Amino acid sequence: MKRSVLPEPTVRDIPEASGDVLRPTMTDRRTFLRAALGGTVIAALGGAYYLVDDDATRRARGATLADGRPRLPPNQHVISRIKPMGGQEGDPNPNAFRLNVYGEVEAPFVLDFAALLAMPQVTQTCDVHCVTKWSLLDSHWTGVKIADLAARAKLKSAARYVIFESAHGYSANVPIHEALKPNALLAHRYEGQALPLTHGAPVRAVVPDLYFWKSAKWLTAIHFVGSDQPGYWETRGYSNHADPWKEERYS
Amino acid sequence: MSEGVKTRKLHLRPWVRAVHRDVGYVAVGLTIVYALSGLAVNHIADWNPNFHDTIRELEIGAIQGETDAVAASAVLQRMGIAERPSDTYRAGDELTILLDHRTLHVTSAGHVLDEAQRPRFILRAVNWLHLNRGKKAWTYFADAYAAGLLLLALSGMFMIPGRKGLAGRGAALVAIGVAIPVAYVVLSNGP
Repeated sequence: MKRSVLPEPTVRDIPEASGDVLRPTMTDRRTFLRAALGGTVIAALGGAYYLVDDDATRRARGATLADGRPRLPPNQHVISRIKPMGGQEGDPNPNAFRLNVYGEVEAPFVLDFAALLAMPQVTQTCDVHCVTKWSLLDSHWTGVKIADLAARAKLKSAARYVIFESAHGYSANVPIHEALKPNALLAHRYEGQALPLTHGAPVRAVVPDLYFWKSAKWLTAIHFVGSDQPGYWETRGYSNHADPWKEERYS
Repeated sequence: MSEGVKTRKLHLRPWVRAVHRDVGYVAVGLTIVYALSGLAVNHIADWNPNFHDTIRELEIGAIQGETDAVAASAVLQRMGIAERPSDTYRAGDELTILLDHRTLHVTSAGHVLDEAQRPRFILRAVNWLHLNRGKKAWTYFADAYAAGLLLLALSGMFMIPGRKGLAGRGAALVAIGVAIPVAYVVLSNGP
């Protein structure tokens, strides 16, 4: 019988002893497959989070507004706290606030914060809908109706659109009939408190019947125009009108 | 072919590799900027990619002061804030105190809404670039970077000759890369 004689292992041949501890790498097929499977499961669970309706969303889907529209526009889900959604902040100082109301009006004017507060104030409860698919129900906003500002400026019949102009060149266009609805405001308070900086302090627009990017934050001017002027997002592929119930997200 | 006449074959591949490598080096910095910002802004519904935001409410007791400046000083003292306010504003019962990236809204009863922002140093800068908030010259850099990415994508296909040329694994992977956006547009009913 032939016996093979194996050499004694040296320290270098023993991974632990030599410090070359075998570690799984992505080149290890089994390890790679495990990692891929784990990643897939985590991604699927994350996706399920968005697909499974919570109670608030289910209840909202079953409700209707006074005008017959479903309370929750299609493919929206309900959240409990408003999200900031970015934007380049303006100056939150009420002392620095100036609102220029101009364009197709007979009496353009500039309003400071005190003058805005001196106008008739309304507090309304409304739902707001973000194009990123969240909806906030029963939010409370205090401010001045845009219709009251238009009346003070003596709107000309030529005005067809309102352009909200904001800090750092942001703008959003809204058809005049949407901007003059009784629920369209310039808001300076949210949930009974001063408007937070991330939500447009000191003053933002609130147009609840359109996706919320139309409700420009850090407002500096209301420009009444005769012909449409698509704004920041509208010129970047988002809908010009943005009706949530028609799911007008993109152009 | 007559003896003594030498033909020179044009070898493009080394040039492709050299161009790809050098453009790739230049693109590293900008790719990091756009990739970091892309990840950050892509999830803007979940967080503020530019600032750490904090909002808190607290009670500090009734505030009295002959002037807004005196009242503001009392508020800051009670809250242990050494910073001098940049401005104050009073609207009825509420005094607003403006600090650096921080605003205090204080009622005379001493209820404070304290909202503050701490800039995310790197992300705020890369987002500013990615969203082209600076405009002007950055538009040209961004255009040049986009052209560079096109060059990298196209030259990348021809860097190393496969055993089957363009018909091998590379073709399959390129097809997958093209198919993903096409399939997504088709399956999601597109724009």
